Amino acid sequence: MSAQDTVLVVGAGPAGLSAAATIASMGKKAVIVEREDILGGAPIISGYAKLVPSGEWAKDAIGRMVSRVEGDGNVAIHKSTKVTMLEGEVGNFMATLSNGEKVEAGSIVLGTGFTHFDSINKPEWGFGTYEDVLTTTQMEQMVGTGQITCPSDGRVPERVAILLCVGSRDRQIGREWCSKICCTVSTNLAMEIKEISPSTDVFIYYMDIRTFGLYEDKFYWKSQEEYKTKFVKARIAEVTKSPDGRLLVKGEDTLVKRPIVIPMDIVVHAIGMDPNALNPEIAKTFGIGLEKHGFIDRAEQYTNSQGTTRKGIYVCGAATGPEDIDTSIAQGQSAGSRAVADLFGQQKVAS
Amino acid sequence: MAIHEKTLIDPDRILQHDHLVVDGVDVSGSWNTMITPRTLTDYEENFEKIIQSYSGGENVHRCWQCGSCTNSCTMYAQNVDFNPRYWIYLIRLGLKAELMKDKDIIWQCVSCNKCTNICPKDVRPEGVMKATAHWMEDNGLTPKTLSTHFDEEFTHQCIEFGRIEDTEVMMGFYKRSNQPLVQAWIVEFGKRLSKGLPLGQLAKMGMNVVFRPKTKSWGKTGEVLAEYVKAQKEAAHHG
Repeated sequence: MSAQDTVLVVGAGPAGLSAAATIASMGKKAVIVEREDILGGAPIISGYAKLVPSGEWAKDAIGRMVSRVEGDGNVAIHKSTKVTMLEGEVGNFMATLSNGEKVEAGSIVLGTGFTHFDSINKPEWGFGTYEDVLTTTQMEQMVGTGQITCPSDGRVPERVAILLCVGSRDRQIGREWCSKICCTVSTNLAMEIKEISPSTDVFIYYMDIRTFGLYEDKFYWKSQEEYKTKFVKARIAEVTKSPDGRLLVKGEDTLVKRPIVIPMDIVVHAIGMDPNALNPEIAKTFGIGLEKHGFIDRAEQYTNSQGTTRKGIYVCGAATGPEDIDTSIAQGQSAGSRAVADLFGQQKVAS
Repeated sequence: MAIHEKTLIDPDRILQHDHLVVDGVDVSGSWNTMITPRTLTDYEENFEKIIQSYSGGENVHRCWQCGSCTNSCTMYAQNVDFNPRYWIYLIRLGLKAELMKDKDIIWQCVSCNKCTNICPKDVRPEGVMKATAHWMEDNGLTPKTLSTHFDEEFTHQCIEFGRIEDTEVMMGFYKRSNQPLVQAWIVEFGKRLSKGLPLGQLAKMGMNVVFRPKTKSWGKTGEVLAEYVKAQKEAAHHG
């Protein structure tokens, strides 16, 4: 292996796996460096249920992406490993790994992803206080078990409330972005809950519904029309517990201009996507810039869409901002292609 | 739109005849109830700007109507007509007539700032309530508050004499706000003062009330100050 035929891929989520497969398919070598001891990224590590929009289980869909690179002779994989130092420049990078190995690469693709918002930062909504307050990732894991029950006592919930924009669109906690996927994920989750537990009614508390593009009818309308999900325009002020052990969601229903105190059995936080908590370290190691929210900054948008602020280093997926899986995969292919072009010294970029 | 509750209809839009017979059929009372439509016919585009020109109202344009302010509001818990989220909407669109229906309760904001602490867009609704109350007062839509009466008397004396005289400030304040000049606390104050008999101090106070001395070489300073204050006010709210 030499720098001239190798691309270093950091992160093995949907974006990184897609980039590695693209690089290998063009006859070049991809060296994957993954921090966790398994491949697949957030959908696998956090145990997502059925994916949007395919409806395929995450372990099957992303599992296929994993086995594709694992079975490819052009792809080398380092698990439980980080890049600790980077020297050189485009065409001739030298990365030192935490296991002491060194990797020569002509270019680099970062698919370093995001960190789920930690609901503990919104204490008024009861996460960490009440057992029956969950996050969307925890609810996805519950869907994966095929049973919907209250963690506190195992009863089947009569009502589940999903609160949107937890950790998104909120100046109070410095999250001034929309996490893009939570609305669609929540409507999808509402349908999954109803499918497993037909006696459970699901309520979604929203400020706006942003099921963008084709997700409008496939998820929003479908959950409303076929799965009878109720949509309530209210941002909940607090979640408390009533004497009978059920949760109470308190707020104002803005459409009827009336206060509400509604009993619920499970409250789900539709948590947003934060910049990867390690981004400051990643930025320092790779010598790249972060944009104002803390995601990885992009190069010139139109001629170098997947470029970072440093020549020869590309970025794809949720590392650049909240992103859905399909787009992350497409960006992985795009970044992989640009990285391979660098091996030939073929990049033409407007400056 | 469906009518959620009859209480949401303004009483003056309900038309009802106590005694009415149509084609020989008695339709008295609620049998003939009609409701006049409540059509909004225009917006006052500059109203949001006017509220923004008052201290505290600067961020009102940021609101996206999530209702967090109303949710958390101390006053809303007492009275569901006290709805900052709704008022901010009316301010933004310039639906002044709708807003004025609640003019007698907007001032009731207790400035607990729960809304400002929870607002995801940093609208600072507590400030908007304050700005709106000040605008209503400035335009004579609500009576002047006691603190405004006090401010006015205090400012008047500053500009006129370059200094204030405590007795005069209190008397002027009570006069302006239509309160009796003889207050229980003043009577008590006088009683205790007479016990100690600080003659020199009493004489000085009496002289000051009678002769109203001005600050040395005050001259036209008061006029200039008054002019400046007026110009500042106009620039802020009409500029």
